[in-house]
Amino acid sequence: MGDIHDGPRKRIATAHLAQHIGQPVCFVGRVEKIHPSGKLFVLSDGEGKHTTVELSEPLDEEISGVIEVVGRVTNQATIMCMSYIQFREDKSPFDLELYNEAIKIIHEFHEYFPFG
Amino acid sequence: GGYTQSPGGFGSPAGTQAEKKQRTRTQNIVPCTVSQLLAAEQVDESFRIRNVEISQVTIVGIVRHAEKAPTNILYKVDDMTAAPMDVRQWVDTDEAGGENAVVPPGTYVKVAGHLRSFQNKKSLVAFKIMPLENMNEFTTHILEIINAHVVLRRNLMEASRGPQAFPSAGVSDMGSYGGVCSMPLNGLTAHQSQVLNLIKNCPVPEGMSLQELKAQLHSMSMSTIK
Repeated sequence: MGDIHDGPRKRIATAHLAQHIGQPVCFVGRVEKIHPSGKLFVLSDGEGKHTTVELSEPLDEEISGVIEVVGRVTNQATIMCMSYIQFREDKSPFDLELYNEAIKIIHEFHEYFPFG
Repeated sequence: GGYTQSPGGFGSPAGTQAEKKQRTRTQNIVPCTVSQLLAAEQVDESFRIRNVEISQVTIVGIVRHAEKAPTNILYKVDDMTAAPMDVRQWVDTDEAGGENAVVPPGTYVKVAGHLRSFQNKKSLVAFKIMPLENMNEFTTHILEIINAHVVLRRNLMEASRGPQAFPSAGVSDMGSYGGVCSMPLNGLTAHQSQVLNLIKNCPVPEGMSLQELKAQLHSMSMSTIK
């Protein structure tokens, strides 16, 4: 784990990437495609908008379903991934649309859900 | 030997019984972010968020680290709002395993416990750590945090203003736009309160789809719900 995990990582959706260039963020989305090199994959958020996630090392496993990525937003509005986990959906599907709504509420009511 | 968790000097696993006697005033269990817990002010032996005493809290986060010791398991739980928080769970040394099996790192958990501070470092003493089987509970927890803290603030305002008629946090006819956080009275617009309350009261573990919300809130257009 790198330093990024010792501080706040704001939860964002694709629409917020541009406002968070250079910042540590947390992004949850569904795997759409994985680049053959394994160093890049695309996630869709709860509004269906796509975000590109880059890795410094290629993936060493198959990823699918809903992924939560921690990383930093690059100048190109992609996310440089520092770590990720897969959400379990073995018992129930994850409602990504509802999560997107929750993100909007987190941002609007930031006083009641502070990052840092 | 025990581990001194709080200024009160509870040094043994059986401390929870004594703690309960001392803290009978604090009945609420408040969902919080780690950042809120870190910012909570300590007043003597109790903690306050928005000047309301809190003791029992819940957090939801990922286990980043788990360390088993003879009498306790130390976890570091990360909810992205700050650095991971220390969560200590006392184990019954007579128990072979089962309930006190170590939760592996990378697992999302819901922790219910008491906030503690020792040498200016905050931590939780957990009475329950539950791996999430349905990740929609994680989303619900986010909404519950905001709802709970909006209500805490509203109650604080009510108390300071004295007996006046205030709308409940649920349905409000005021039509006041509380979208800006500096609004002291009702942190949510009427529409947002309704949506939040519905989500909160949803009996279905998977949560509510927008379609379900729409069906229940007949008076609202889809764009308003969104």
